[in-house]
Amino acid sequence: MDFYFGLLQIIGVHTLLGLSAYVVLLTGQVSLAQAGFMAIGAYVAAMLTVLAKWWIFPALLAGGAVAGVVACAVGFPALRVRGLMLVVATLAFGEAVRLFFFNFDYQIAMGGIKVGPLGGEGFRQIRYFPENGYTTFHVMVFIWLVVAAVMTALWWMDRSRAGAVLRAVGEDEMAAQSAGVNLTAVKVTAMTVGGCIAGLAGGLYAHYTTHIEQGNFNVLVATFAIAYPILGGLSNVFGTLAAVVFIQAFLVEGLRFLGDWRNLLFGLLIVVSMNVRPGGLIDARNWTQLRALIGSIRKGETRARLEVASGGIMSAVQRLIQRWRGAFGA
Amino acid sequence: MLEVDNLAKHFGGVKAVDGVSFRLAKGEILGLIGPNGSGKSTIVNVIAGLTAPTSGRVLFDGADITGKPTHALVAAGIARTFQNIRLFGQLTVWQNLWVAENRQRERALPLVPRWLGGYLADRERIGAMLEFSGLAHKRDDLAANLAFGEQRRLELARALAAEPKLILLDEPAAGMNAEEIYELDGRIRKVREGGVTVLLIEHHMELIMAVADRIAVLNFGQKIAEGSPAQVQSDGKVREAYLGRAV
Repeated sequence: MDFYFGLLQIIGVHTLLGLSAYVVLLTGQVSLAQAGFMAIGAYVAAMLTVLAKWWIFPALLAGGAVAGVVACAVGFPALRVRGLMLVVATLAFGEAVRLFFFNFDYQIAMGGIKVGPLGGEGFRQIRYFPENGYTTFHVMVFIWLVVAAVMTALWWMDRSRAGAVLRAVGEDEMAAQSAGVNLTAVKVTAMTVGGCIAGLAGGLYAHYTTHIEQGNFNVLVATFAIAYPILGGLSNVFGTLAAVVFIQAFLVEGLRFLGDWRNLLFGLLIVVSMNVRPGGLIDARNWTQLRALIGSIRKGETRARLEVASGGIMSAVQRLIQRWRGAFGA
Repeated sequence: MLEVDNLAKHFGGVKAVDGVSFRLAKGEILGLIGPNGSGKSTIVNVIAGLTAPTSGRVLFDGADITGKPTHALVAAGIARTFQNIRLFGQLTVWQNLWVAENRQRERALPLVPRWLGGYLADRERIGAMLEFSGLAHKRDDLAANLAFGEQRRLELARALAAEPKLILLDEPAAGMNAEEIYELDGRIRKVREGGVTVLLIEHHMELIMAVADRIAVLNFGQKIAEGSPAQVQSDGKVREAYLGRAV
């Protein structure tokens, strides 16, 4: 059972990571710095619980806050570049953070052993959860409480005017400006919020693995961070969650029996799903359909609606058969 | 209320706008016409703060607004529409209007909390905008799925949702049929009745002659005539610019 709890922990943390990129992506910015912000959150939160003996919750918040402040500082110069150049700039920043922690030593002696981050060796013995008697299950629940809180906040933000403004900037900066939107403020805010969420993800990650090192926050993680919301679609936060489950539970864990072939299939499946569902696994149209269906259930029109839907599927199948017949000259 | 003073905008060696001056009085509709490439859209972009002029000044309500960022100008009361429609296609009609804001706006309901008051005032304002542009039944549709004429209407509504004092309309009739242009005529008049000053750039002569109080004519980045529709129509230089010189 612990295996599944562990998997749920990974999915939870990666969902947060994906959501941090989701906020930034809404404004049309592609950031490869999310792994860097995650690293900052991880190291800050872990140092606070291990070295300063803080309670986990304020330590996580502090990690998120520091990552957010750094993201805000990165956001301003990043505004000057856009498109591919922004990708390169944020990638460079992420790598700089990683290399900082590669060289970062801060150890103090505690109960006979030295603890704290030690450069390339990483930061071992982040034992807050085991020392306080958390089981894998408890940790999993703790992580998902944080995930639920962040998702709720983002869901609410999405439906408020702020969500409309972020998306407006993502669609057409000039039109957004002309509608009175302050581009600088919106983009930097999105970057800051994204940094905060990535920092939270890092803090949780550090504590459930109990050992972090700079290699955990490399460019692959940054790529995953933007892959989730792109694959899941930008309609709402659940798309990102769906993409994380798809990738982490199905592609990474579910296909483990394939051994090394898995990596090949992994790339292939992502290519296929991007082609078949370019708007994300769950795109805007699906949500509209879902809403219409729920609405019709409420009004008791489900039967009629389902008949229309099944009629549509049947006629699509018929068209397909006709096309095949045409192709084979029958 | 708007004063454009000796405005020039050069792109490399091309003098897109070359020393143009004109004024708009409060509540007036000024038509800006001219052949393609005569600098009309560039002037709108400079007034709206999207491009910085090479030289010259723009004054709004007596204050120099040259080079101010676009969003600050919207807050000061200058809104615009685009020649090629620029809506937020993946947002609903309602959200498109919701985005447009004007921070100078007074809160309509004084006793409720500020943010809630703002929210309620927004709802009321957007509802009125939807009625005005005949899009109330489309409020939850994505803007990208609207018909062309509806998109034009929505763009005008979005500009008005920012509660401007001055609105810049960049070829609002482009691509419209006769009936839609007739409706647009009525809508522009209503906008003015609502106390908004209008700068109208248009190629459609019937519309501009009917609705504008005054017309300024541009050619090769310079103003060649200004006056009432009748005066401009009988102006020799204007005829020359549009029809060519008599041989």
